[in-house]
Amino acid sequence: MFELDRFSVAFGSATALRQASLTIRPGDRLGVVGESGSGKTMLALSLMGMAPEAAQVSGRLLIDGKDMSAATEADWQRLRARKVAMIFQEPMSALNPLRRVGDTVADPLRIHLGMDRAAARAQALDLFREVGIPDPEARLRQFPHEMSGGQRQRVLIALALACDPALLIADEPTTALDANVKLRITDLLVRLAEQRGMALLFISHDLASVARATQDIMVMYGGDIVERGPTAEVLHDPAHPYTRGLLGARPDPAPQQRDAAGRRPRLPTIPGTVPALHALAAGCRFSGRCPVERPDCATVKPAMRAFGTRSAACHALEVPA
Amino acid sequence: MILDVRNVTRRYRLPRRALLQPPPVLVAVDNASLSIDRGQTLGIVGESGSGKSTLARMVMAFERPDQGTIRFDGHDLNALSTAELRRLRQRFQMVFQDPYGSLDPRRTVGWSIAEPLRVMGAPDTARRVDEALDHVGLRAADAGKYPHEFSGGQRQRIAIARAIVTRPALLVADEAVSALDVSVQAQILNLLMDLQDELGLAMLFISHDLAVVASICDHLMVMQHGKTLESGPAHQVLAAPSHPYTRSLLTAAGAAA
Repeated sequence: MFELDRFSVAFGSATALRQASLTIRPGDRLGVVGESGSGKTMLALSLMGMAPEAAQVSGRLLIDGKDMSAATEADWQRLRARKVAMIFQEPMSALNPLRRVGDTVADPLRIHLGMDRAAARAQALDLFREVGIPDPEARLRQFPHEMSGGQRQRVLIALALACDPALLIADEPTTALDANVKLRITDLLVRLAEQRGMALLFISHDLASVARATQDIMVMYGGDIVERGPTAEVLHDPAHPYTRGLLGARPDPAPQQRDAAGRRPRLPTIPGTVPALHALAAGCRFSGRCPVERPDCATVKPAMRAFGTRSAACHALEVPA
Repeated sequence: MILDVRNVTRRYRLPRRALLQPPPVLVAVDNASLSIDRGQTLGIVGESGSGKSTLARMVMAFERPDQGTIRFDGHDLNALSTAELRRLRQRFQMVFQDPYGSLDPRRTVGWSIAEPLRVMGAPDTARRVDEALDHVGLRAADAGKYPHEFSGGQRQRIAIARAIVTRPALLVADEAVSALDVSVQAQILNLLMDLQDELGLAMLFISHDLAVVASICDHLMVMQHGKTLESGPAHQVLAAPSHPYTRSLLTAAGAAA
């Protein structure tokens, strides 16, 4: 179990992650959505004990009830791969091009679990089968450049699963992939999480993938968690004005025809751009771009307020009594 | 009709696998045909390796087809002399995917936008750069700044300003919004629609994302492995896709709804 309690990561006056609180239980599939600079990757790195050294970190991270504030790099190295593992976005650059992929996947088994060469190799073969790599015996001996993007992403998933982690963090795992491959990798991650009872933190700006992969969703903006709840409910009926803007701006695959004057319907947009981290408002990060902004929004940080199974951080939120 | 592509094929010779065998040949684009009218947008959807970018490069005359003809406003691009092609080029321009790599970091934005004007020896460059910046929602003062001072979305606006500064009749956009965040992507798509209305631009819009293409295109063409799987009015292809691959793209794009 992973718990973040008012966890912040700052670089001087620039706060990359502000007072994030969340709990991830075994088997949870949690999506994190947000645009560049929203803090979603910083959240992932924090859970891996990999927040940049130059950053000021405050708040607490508990793993299975144990406070990690005093953990050393050696402590983290014992936990990584076994407790928490991560799949990165770029399947092209995340594998060592000079090593056979089977050896790359066998490494953590030998380092973390102390397996001998033959046992690690046999385990790597099982992992290749589990993630659906065709002809796994032959594939173990291949180099990354001999594989397609989708197959490489499967190798990275096998690598992350090697030491049977309690939490798998997937940071934009499908972004670089073609549409059909994207669906297959998303479904693979869901199946693996269900079969292994593993928690999955699925980070993406692609709402379609997140909708498919997760039970719950968190929406981030400017380093804040602004909304969370069951994925289907949040996407169907977003409460936070930023979530509404984000969902509205996403083009619809339904055909859009021109009107009688030959004009094509425009997409709804969020006015302005995401400000730089050091220029964010002290109160609600979304102030300045928000369509329902109130006078005190820029100065007073809205608290996360619960309604039913959901919660959102917005001063304008009407919470039913 | 501003662009007319007829039965175009492009093959690449791959490295020899064995000494005495002929090298294998990849057919990147296989007998593709398309046409675009003034003020209209044709979208090409397909995944990596579908041939959509090769087709775009041939339309831009960066590459010659092995077979078939490409006519821009009646001129056969591959029958023109170098000088004639250079003159014609100002009327078809391209916007690339990467707003970071497509602008020279050591030159001011104004210098980069003026580059196509300098190539054609046009007078009054400064005024036209100001106009182009105004068209894409930036300020004339931005011409003196450098690319690193802008966000990704603003850089894509600059790339679009550079493409329209020669007042082209056709804009080729290859994955022009793919690297952008969702809210920025919507702004850039709206900008392209505005420019089409104001300037009567025809657009060839290439993307792997069917939802993006649906929002902006009049006609749609679906490609896979160099072949054209289907094409037609966008609303027809989207409402009743005839090929299973198009249906799977629709599933991938629509799962969020």
